[in-house]
Amino acid sequence: MSASANDQVSWLRQPGVLAALPAAIFLLLGFAGPLVMVFGYSFMPARSFSLLQAPTLENYVSVVSESYYISFAWSVSLAALTVLLLFPICYPVAYGMARLFGKWANLVTVLIAVPLLISENIRLFGWVLVLVKNGILDGSLQTLFGASASGPLYSVPAIVLGLVYVYLPFMLFPLVIGISMVPDTLKEAASDLGASRWQIFREIELPLSMPGILIGGILTFILALGSLAESKILGGQAIVMIADDIESAFTFAQNWPKGSVLSVLLIGLSGLIVFALFRRIDLDQIIGRR
Amino acid sequence: MSASQSSRTTRSLIVIWTVTVIAFLYIPMVAVALASFSKQRYFRFPISRWTTEWYTKTFESLSVRDLLWTSLSVAALVTVFSVLLAFFGALAFARYDWKGRKLYQRLVLLPIFFPQAVLGLALLLWFSVLDVTTSWQTAVFAHMIWIVPIVILIMSIQVYSFDPALEEAAFDLGATRWQVLREVTLPILSPGIISGGTFAFLLSWGNFPLSLFTTGADQTVPEWLYAKMVSGYTPMVPTLGTLTMSGAAILILVIYLVWMALGARRRARMATNDE
Amino acid sequence: MSEDGSAFLELDGITKKFGSFTAVRDISLKIREGEFFTLVGPSGSGKTTMIRMLVGMERPTGGEMRLQGKVLNDVPANKRPTCMVFQSLALFPHKSVGENIEFSLKIAGVDPIRRRRRAEELLAQLRLPVEYYDKGVNQCSGGERQRIALARALAFDPQILFFDEPLSALDFRLRKTLEKELKDIHKETGKTFVYITHSLEEAMVMSDRIAIMRDGGIVQVGSPQEIYNRPVNKFVAQFMGEVNTIAVEKASARTVRATADGSTFQVPGMPAGFETGFLIIRPEVMKIGKAAEKLKNKVKGVVFNDYALGSRIQYQVRSDARDEHWLVERLQDDPYEGHVDDKVTIGWQPADSILVSE
Repeated sequence: MSASANDQVSWLRQPGVLAALPAAIFLLLGFAGPLVMVFGYSFMPARSFSLLQAPTLENYVSVVSESYYISFAWSVSLAALTVLLLFPICYPVAYGMARLFGKWANLVTVLIAVPLLISENIRLFGWVLVLVKNGILDGSLQTLFGASASGPLYSVPAIVLGLVYVYLPFMLFPLVIGISMVPDTLKEAASDLGASRWQIFREIELPLSMPGILIGGILTFILALGSLAESKILGGQAIVMIADDIESAFTFAQNWPKGSVLSVLLIGLSGLIVFALFRRIDLDQIIGRR
Repeated sequence: MSASQSSRTTRSLIVIWTVTVIAFLYIPMVAVALASFSKQRYFRFPISRWTTEWYTKTFESLSVRDLLWTSLSVAALVTVFSVLLAFFGALAFARYDWKGRKLYQRLVLLPIFFPQAVLGLALLLWFSVLDVTTSWQTAVFAHMIWIVPIVILIMSIQVYSFDPALEEAAFDLGATRWQVLREVTLPILSPGIISGGTFAFLLSWGNFPLSLFTTGADQTVPEWLYAKMVSGYTPMVPTLGTLTMSGAAILILVIYLVWMALGARRRARMATNDE
Repeated sequence: MSEDGSAFLELDGITKKFGSFTAVRDISLKIREGEFFTLVGPSGSGKTTMIRMLVGMERPTGGEMRLQGKVLNDVPANKRPTCMVFQSLALFPHKSVGENIEFSLKIAGVDPIRRRRRAEELLAQLRLPVEYYDKGVNQCSGGERQRIALARALAFDPQILFFDEPLSALDFRLRKTLEKELKDIHKETGKTFVYITHSLEEAMVMSDRIAIMRDGGIVQVGSPQEIYNRPVNKFVAQFMGEVNTIAVEKASARTVRATADGSTFQVPGMPAGFETGFLIIRPEVMKIGKAAEKLKNKVKGVVFNDYALGSRIQYQVRSDARDEHWLVERLQDDPYEGHVDDKVTIGWQPADSILVSE
């Protein structure tokens, strides 16, 4: 047996490798496999259901030449808008949870996490009931002021509301971790050296909580980028987001290669951002701290 | 400094803002609950006539029973399998040092960041290429792709605070690998396993985008709700929604209490050991 | 030090309560300009709370602190002309060595060129290579980090430097080196240093004056020599290190009687009003064997064991007079001539006795 084969055997015998194997094999089968296949389909002739034909770039060409850039643009801008809105909304809450609330922080965490465990559908449907004509908002305004607020549903602002609502915890929790990673003594030291509250924030807290901010921002961005339910339930036909296009290509149009191309583009965009993030961040440090 | 120097006004502003944000999170759920008690066929606010008849109808409905049974089966299987896979996955993630761990950490988390609708569609293709007929069993598989990484992440938090010397001490005292696992590792990691399992169950129970493309002819509760929201609205939508929300809330409460009791017992034991 | 000995930093009845718990009670102190002043106490003695109040991170619940006559109580930490070196050092991990040192100057709006010049000046003063300016603080060794923290605190020329046990995490030898280095820097800069530590030994090496704290109050203030030679009570004497402590009562004007077995010992004199208390004898003044035979105060016992303590050897001797062992120390190159388990006489000169009433 060669030396490298010996090395491989001893590598495989490590408890860490053995423990990693089940989940790794499972994800290889259920995650990597389908993705490779989608990638393969993106090079098949349009409307084919087999992977065994001569590869072609025609789907990429047709996707670029058609108007899919509109739904991409909508997805990217709404995702970016969601992140921009969520940061100022979440930062004060995260700061409170990390610094001020003490034993109440646990309760706040539970209260914010609970909605995550309830189907997104039901929660978005709740917003439909609030925003719909004669719904809770409209009905209250009519009863109280005689004014009508019909029309907020099935519009871009309603979609943004849904995105902000659904992804709020995904921005909040990483921020809490990020902020609590900043040791108190560093802020005290900065204050002792003459820094004002604002200077402490800018010079110490913001840069040191950057890993949390980045994770929160990027997680939210990516999730919003691939979101489907918000635009379908709250947006009606107002706009089409990219996940909508992918779904119709795969289902109504029965054009797997085209759906695959769109998926590959979306995955590529998200993957690029995630890898850029992971290169800068040490997961041991972030998850390991309590 | 944090507490003593943050001025009172800043503190109260943050508290008020936090309460507002939490209220915002619960608005739609309150709306759903309100709608379930409205007598009108189509929801109007303010509610003029209240009723509980939709609940009676929901309980009597055979199709709702099927939905609940499907959702429950999926969630239960997802929980069991995810916890098993993720337990070892978390040990590999956070407990052991091995060559390739950093790469494994990043790859294993990727599915969490992945758009679920696209994942669902990719799996639909995958199943059809492999010639597997989609049904609630394939949905179990699909849910796990997304949920196993989340449970690994949750359990890792607990594993990070686990002192490996405890396992080594048990080995040193003559325990076998299996005895170490049963006597030391599992009991100490039990809070992480409980919370991981809870998340697995509830995330599967509420999942829509993966179920939509992978359940085939079977239907879970979120799928049915969506179908009825889009076309064929019936007040059973908010009713079933309220029921599933209450179920989730009760489960969370129970787990939370168990958790607190476990924590209290641990603290009590550690306190006596300190004396 | 100021000629007239007037206070530079004056504490007047400083008290700090956390709810019903009093961490610091009624402390009054005068610290002179240019002095190296150390607060020493075991953990829980209130010294950390004290220094946090001095720096401005806690507010006293009673009393007044004045710097050159100006009341400091309500001045926040970032407006005080004082600076602290933290126990954890609190170096900013995302900033380079140079950026750490310059931090206070950047905050004050000093222009980059002058900032850099000052930082390089401080690097030189603290014997750090000038290339360290761009190095990450986490790449520096423990001793280097120590000096960077000190340089950062010195950068804006504070009137007083506070130190919160900055050496406690270091290994023994590095700590010994840095203690001396710190004393040298104190001499070079001529600044007022206020230091807290739990180690009286460390305080002795560096300080001009020492205040010993216990349970939130001050037990004794004095120079290292005063504290060493004239501890005011058993707590201070024992805090210094291992000593022989014997419970005694007054027998005559120049003798005390041990309460345990009634044996009497001569003492040079009696504090006014002394009735009962403790006789304290340091191990290094104790004699053993032949040297003890002709002494006025002596005890017979059996050598229990011997311990090499570096430059000295400690012998523990068991006698019927006390439950505890007697401690006797001799230089390593002048050991006791007998063996463990020998019967032996030990003793001391009356002039080496220290008598305290509590």
